[in-house]
Amino acid sequence: MADSDQDTAQYAAAVDEYLTRTYEGDRRRELLNSEGWDPEFAAELADMGWYALAVPESQGGLGAPLSALGPVFMQLGRHLVVGPLLEDILLPAMLRRPGDWVSAPAIAAAVGTGVPLALVDPGVTDDWADDFGSVTLNGQQLFGTVNAVRFARQASLLVVVADTGTGSAVCLVDPAEPGVRIEDVDSADPTIEFARVVFDGVRADGVAPAGPADGELVIRIRSWARLLIACELSGVAQRSLERTVEHVGQREQFGRPIGSFQAVKHMAADMHTRWAALHNLCLATLADADRAPVADLELLAATAKAHAAETAVRVCEDAIQLHGGMGFTTESDMSWYYKHALALRGWYGEETELQLRIGAALLERGSADHTADIDDSARDGGDHPTDRA
Amino acid sequence: MTTQDESLDAFRARARAWLAEAEPPEAPLDLDARFTVLRQWQKTLFEAGWLGIAWSEEAGGQGLTHMHQLVFVEELVRARAPQPIGIIGLEVVGPSIDRYGTDWQRRELLPRLLSGDDIWCQGFSEPNAGSDLASLRTRAVVDGDDFVVSGQKVWTSWAHMAQWCALLVRTDTSVRKQAGISYLLVDMTSPGITARPIEQMTGDREFCEVFFDDVRVDRRNLLGGLNEGWPIATHTLGTERAGATLRRRVECEVALDDAVAQLRRHRADGPSGSPEADRRTRAAIGRCHVALRVLDAQTRQTTTRLVAGAGPRPEDSVDKLLLNEIEQIVFSEIADLLGPLRAVPGSRPRGLRSERWVHEHLFSRAASIYGGTSQIQRNIIAERLLGLPRG
Ligand SMILES: Cc1cc2nc3c(=O)[nH]c(=O)nc-3n(C[C@H](O)[C@H](O)[C@H](O)COP(=O)(O)OP(=O)(O)OC[C@H]3O[C@@H](n4cnc5c(N)ncnc54)[C@H](O)[C@@H]3O)c2cc1C
Repeated sequence: MADSDQDTAQYAAAVDEYLTRTYEGDRRRELLNSEGWDPEFAAELADMGWYALAVPESQGGLGAPLSALGPVFMQLGRHLVVGPLLEDILLPAMLRRPGDWVSAPAIAAAVGTGVPLALVDPGVTDDWADDFGSVTLNGQQLFGTVNAVRFARQASLLVVVADTGTGSAVCLVDPAEPGVRIEDVDSADPTIEFARVVFDGVRADGVAPAGPADGELVIRIRSWARLLIACELSGVAQRSLERTVEHVGQREQFGRPIGSFQAVKHMAADMHTRWAALHNLCLATLADADRAPVADLELLAATAKAHAAETAVRVCEDAIQLHGGMGFTTESDMSWYYKHALALRGWYGEETELQLRIGAALLERGSADHTADIDDSARDGGDHPTDRA
Repeated sequence: MTTQDESLDAFRARARAWLAEAEPPEAPLDLDARFTVLRQWQKTLFEAGWLGIAWSEEAGGQGLTHMHQLVFVEELVRARAPQPIGIIGLEVVGPSIDRYGTDWQRRELLPRLLSGDDIWCQGFSEPNAGSDLASLRTRAVVDGDDFVVSGQKVWTSWAHMAQWCALLVRTDTSVRKQAGISYLLVDMTSPGITARPIEQMTGDREFCEVFFDDVRVDRRNLLGGLNEGWPIATHTLGTERAGATLRRRVECEVALDDAVAQLRRHRADGPSGSPEADRRTRAAIGRCHVALRVLDAQTRQTTTRLVAGAGPRPEDSVDKLLLNEIEQIVFSEIADLLGPLRAVPGSRPRGLRSERWVHEHLFSRAASIYGGTSQIQRNIIAERLLGLPRG
């Protein structure tokens, strides 16, 4: 598949080139100060075709595999791009339904003009589920509240994950529908606007009835969200590292660059190692993800996100430390990257929540891949002292 | 699928089938018994054609690729088979002899190294030359057709059981420290060599201090040119790191699988304890899995580099640093699940075999010391990869 690898690299390079030219600097700062939403900017990205990347060709998209979005999200994270990226890039590529589908125009508009979709999903967290909210589908009616939904206020369509009692279903809701309430809430992530979404007996529109396939769609959406957020976090870590290496090479104290002090060098080396490992983990996961059966995809994505959540935040913290007082200000970019990393860290699971899920999956079904074909009950009782290295 | 892939798959199938038949031994806990059993195991592996897989045929190897070598390591470890005893010869010293050796050296030394008839050790570190290896002081002076060696080495694994030693010596004191080092291949039965085992915190007496007291070494045992030992030593250390990274990754994966299997059987037998205890077990296993996926992803790159025949690179230090951290995470997470019973050998908290996990955990603490400490790797990453100014 050398061709598609090349395409993937080209998409990411084009995104990097465009953002370096038009977004870095004052414009980004302005957008970060306006809470992450600017219709013009969203329309500009739509014009560039970024939201159509993984939409099938039959629906007017470029037809790239979902994994091609990974390197693009790395660049989006690296440039700290604002807006409903996950929603507008991922969801149109995943919600494929037959032609007469009522909500199709809203999805087409998201791709074509950048009017956001919003993902109303109580499954963003396990350990804070009680605080985060819940949605149930009762007959054809939705009830419940989700306390933090990205860009719900701006969205033309709500993609809702609801509990059906026996599983989950994906429902599509027009925000203008009676019984939908959208309330403003504050955001501590400069790239994202949040709102609270309340459903009080709302008719769910146009989605296939809840069935096993729907449950699978929910897992797929959440898994790809996890994986792409991991990629975005990898980009956040990458830029934090790059800026730090530049900084410690230039800034002088005690008559020499601070990068010549070993304590500083070792932190920089750890930052590099952490970022490189995250980057490689994302690439390896992307390489496996397109073809993975749903249970494997879930484990792969949870693993990547668990690592990203922990790693990116640590890299950002070291970046702030090595920038000194400047790192603590809003004048330096480091603080903005850090806040975004902190917000993404908990979105679809921080490391502890996901480690618990992964551990449960392994203890339930046994070892993932390594030795499924070996009868370990016969031999695992042995001791295997390791002979030197 | 390319032909290359197919032949690798066939190779894997053949290795797996052979291992299933071979009845690999259990490695005894007692060091002397372990040595004997694993030396016999090396002979068995050698005779079946599983050693020196990527080495040239004239050296007694199989002439296959590094990918084949990696596949065999994976299969060996997954079959819960132990490593052959001569791992230092096979993974560390041998490849350098194969690459830099004279015809005589390769013909005479390598087949016996592979078969386990000769066990090798690596005499690099000294009491005053550890991280700063190039400052080593063990002297060798030319005397007729011989070198005469005197000095001391330390932390030399298996020196008391080895027949041969790859020895770094100073042959010129008047030049830059790296430029005065030679690489000798020394017969450990030569008069004047004393090896004294040192007990490690795992309880094993596996490494030694070694004294060289006017030991005569034939000039034909010089590897490479006189005073040209440093680049070869770098090659040896690079091979050691790459080999250890690939092998330890698989060993850690298998260890986690074994721990999960022990925990699962225990849960199947009875209640899985309080919710808090269960949560802790799940979190630990999850964390280990994540760490090992990271290592797997990282070593895919290493493998690509290795197969492409790349020599040691500063990127190897990233692998080494990561491997050390992850190995220590995995074994400390598992050992922590023993709770206070880690201090009671023979106990089975949550179904885990405490002796094994305590041993593995203790051994993992050495990972960030041998083969170049983690601090040294960080220096290399910062200066050579990130281009930060030398202090
Ligand atoms: C289990 C085991 C097996 C071994 N087997 C062998 C073997 O077979 N053959 C062999 O030759 N050697 C072997 N070694 C030795 C090993 O290579 C050395 O221990 C290692 O290189 C460190 O050297 P040292 O012990 O002298 O520690 P030192 O170099 O004294 O280091 C002590 C501490 O100081 C730090 N330090 C030193 N220099 C710097 C610096 N420039 N910057 C920052 N920190 C620094 C180190 O990171 C370390 O934390 C083995 C070691 C172990 C633990």
